[in-house]
Amino acid sequence: MKKIIASALLLTVLPLYACGAESKKNVTPPDGSLDKCTIRFSWWGGDDRHEATLKAIELWEKLHPDIHIVPEYGGWDGWTEKVSAQLNGGTEPDVIQINYDWLVSFSPDGTGFYDLDLLSDQLDLSGFDKDILSFGTMNGKLNAVTVSLSGRGLFYNSQVYDKLNASFPETWEQLISLGEKFNNYGIYPLDLDNQSGGTAWYLSVVYVQQLTGKEFITMDGKLGFSEADIKTAVDFYKSLEDAHVIRTIKTRTDEDGNAALYQSPEFINGNVAGCLEWGSSIGKYEMLLPEGVLKAGPLLTDNNGNSGGWMIKPSLLYAVSDTTEYPDEAAAFINFLLNDTDCAELLGTTRGIPASSYAENHLESKGLLTGLAQENDHLLEELDTVTISPYMEMTQMKEFYNSALEAVSYGTMDTETAAKELYNSINSYLERITK
Amino acid sequence: MKKRTYSNPVGTSKFTGLLLVSPFLLGFLLFTLYPFVSSFILGFTNYDGTRDAHFTGFDNYKTMLSDSSFRKSVWVTVKYTAILVPLKLAVSLLTAILLNAQIKGIGIFRTAFYIPSILGSNLAVVIMWQFLFTTGGLIDQLTLWLGLPSVSWYGEPGNALFMIILLRLWEFGSAMIIFLNALRDVPKEYYEAAKVDGCGGFRAFFRITLPLLKNVIFLNLVLQTIAALQEFNAPYMLTGGGPMKGTYTIGMLIYNEMFRYNNIGFANAVSWVLFVLITVIVYLMFLITGRTRKEKP
Repeated sequence: MKKIIASALLLTVLPLYACGAESKKNVTPPDGSLDKCTIRFSWWGGDDRHEATLKAIELWEKLHPDIHIVPEYGGWDGWTEKVSAQLNGGTEPDVIQINYDWLVSFSPDGTGFYDLDLLSDQLDLSGFDKDILSFGTMNGKLNAVTVSLSGRGLFYNSQVYDKLNASFPETWEQLISLGEKFNNYGIYPLDLDNQSGGTAWYLSVVYVQQLTGKEFITMDGKLGFSEADIKTAVDFYKSLEDAHVIRTIKTRTDEDGNAALYQSPEFINGNVAGCLEWGSSIGKYEMLLPEGVLKAGPLLTDNNGNSGGWMIKPSLLYAVSDTTEYPDEAAAFINFLLNDTDCAELLGTTRGIPASSYAENHLESKGLLTGLAQENDHLLEELDTVTISPYMEMTQMKEFYNSALEAVSYGTMDTETAAKELYNSINSYLERITK
Repeated sequence: MKKRTYSNPVGTSKFTGLLLVSPFLLGFLLFTLYPFVSSFILGFTNYDGTRDAHFTGFDNYKTMLSDSSFRKSVWVTVKYTAILVPLKLAVSLLTAILLNAQIKGIGIFRTAFYIPSILGSNLAVVIMWQFLFTTGGLIDQLTLWLGLPSVSWYGEPGNALFMIILLRLWEFGSAMIIFLNALRDVPKEYYEAAKVDGCGGFRAFFRITLPLLKNVIFLNLVLQTIAALQEFNAPYMLTGGGPMKGTYTIGMLIYNEMFRYNNIGFANAVSWVLFVLITVIVYLMFLITGRTRKEKP
């Protein structure tokens, strides 16, 4: 009996060590041909993106009847966890739409995804700027291709603003003063969330970056803000709540439960009349309101017209799993999504303004580069923007920001203590993961 | 009459038994023993899913002691269990007694009361709870109509936990079914004899029903306690563990550390602490009720 138990334990432990020791997976080399196969493609997004992508897949299958695409898609909430579980278990799809910070989370040494430089026979990157391609490079390996560049912008319900005879704010001061005016009607001029989007902290960072000229977190993962800067950011957030510019966390939670802002009846009814969102994702808000009601507002400046501090990043990227058996087919499919002009027409700006010049030029020539994503893009182009560090968006970091803002919002901590805790948490975490 | 003969497709060799149990053995090794042992080992590493794991001794366990999220999650889980389990046992037992009545159409009621427990905490239930408990929701309208002050269900940590307790309390069907079966095994003669002796219904409940259900109550107590200590779904779907971590159970912590923050080593260490916590609590239950004593031959 003892022998049986010992053998069973040995049998269970050995594979674990075998897996640990052999963490390098077997990567299938490209063979230069497109064979009959089925590949999986996963993405997150709103309904507008889902519908457009499914049409693009239909077109691909018409052109390549031998290569079947299995779509896997959903909303952002919980998506990182799903992909994380797939990547840890080696069951990820062949083609994955990834978020910018996933590169440092899942491929810190550049071996977490397929090296796309090896797939140049199928993947044409001549339409991409070198600087844009560098966003997807980890440790010298091209792990992912940037689909579009995007920044968060301010979008307002113009019907509500018109009704209250209010103009979209241009400065921070104007934004704060709107709170009082809107409060008389029980309406909020803007809302920020402290869930997975983390827009509350994002706007506070923009404010302090503009004020100080510093970067919040550098590209190599160092905290650029001092403790005093973080306190300024936390104070700014609290001032937005106090001035009735945004809902307090308690009010938001009571009104929306666990739902995101774009699922909130308060936003649909116009009781919340503005949001901060990526240009590439604004479609999910836009489709909730009558056509033309949601409009892009100016990106806020100080009273001297200083417009710095606003941020851009690759809104999303395409990567190929390093365990895929069909690297050529996966690369060809990515090439189709990025560069094919018919596909570009179908996808439009549901993933932002395409970074591929082939797709962008085609959309421009057809007069399809319109809408909020394009407007926001133009507004950002006029500013001296900061590129977001991938470390800023890591899930654990968002947890730190949200906990600090929650404590301040609920009054369980003063802004000084919250800022001190936040500063220490960020510093020790960044130190640990960049070691 | 023709004598029927049977053939033995698996033979009668000494490995036949092993062959027959092999599907179970394989499943047990792969899906129980392997995760069990590997989880224990991972708990002593800093594995993050991407970089190679390094042995870090008891570091993960030491981190837990100073981690405020862990302490908070233990407190929330214990509080949740301590409130939910007695309430659920009481409600399911009382409902089972009512549903044990021999009246026409009782099967419909039994089914109706059981349905919530098969719903779990899926999206439809989450939306229903939002309609009920958010500002302007059904409960809010009802309290206003009654002239009572509006209650912040989602926004106040204590109320949010109570809201989750209500959801699980509503899903008392499985505990109720166990009680119902046990009640049907209680001989009716006992009640008839008690009635003849002048014993009222209330007294009969305490003198006959409860003592005879002693073992079933204990069974339900253990099952419900284990389920409550492992709670994850309801806070994940309804509140995300908030507000202010007021519904952040140990299950939520393990999930977040494992899948959101990629602290796989730490998450596995916490799951072992949860395992030990459940074992200790259940052992204490056996100890307190005198079930650890060996019966004399």
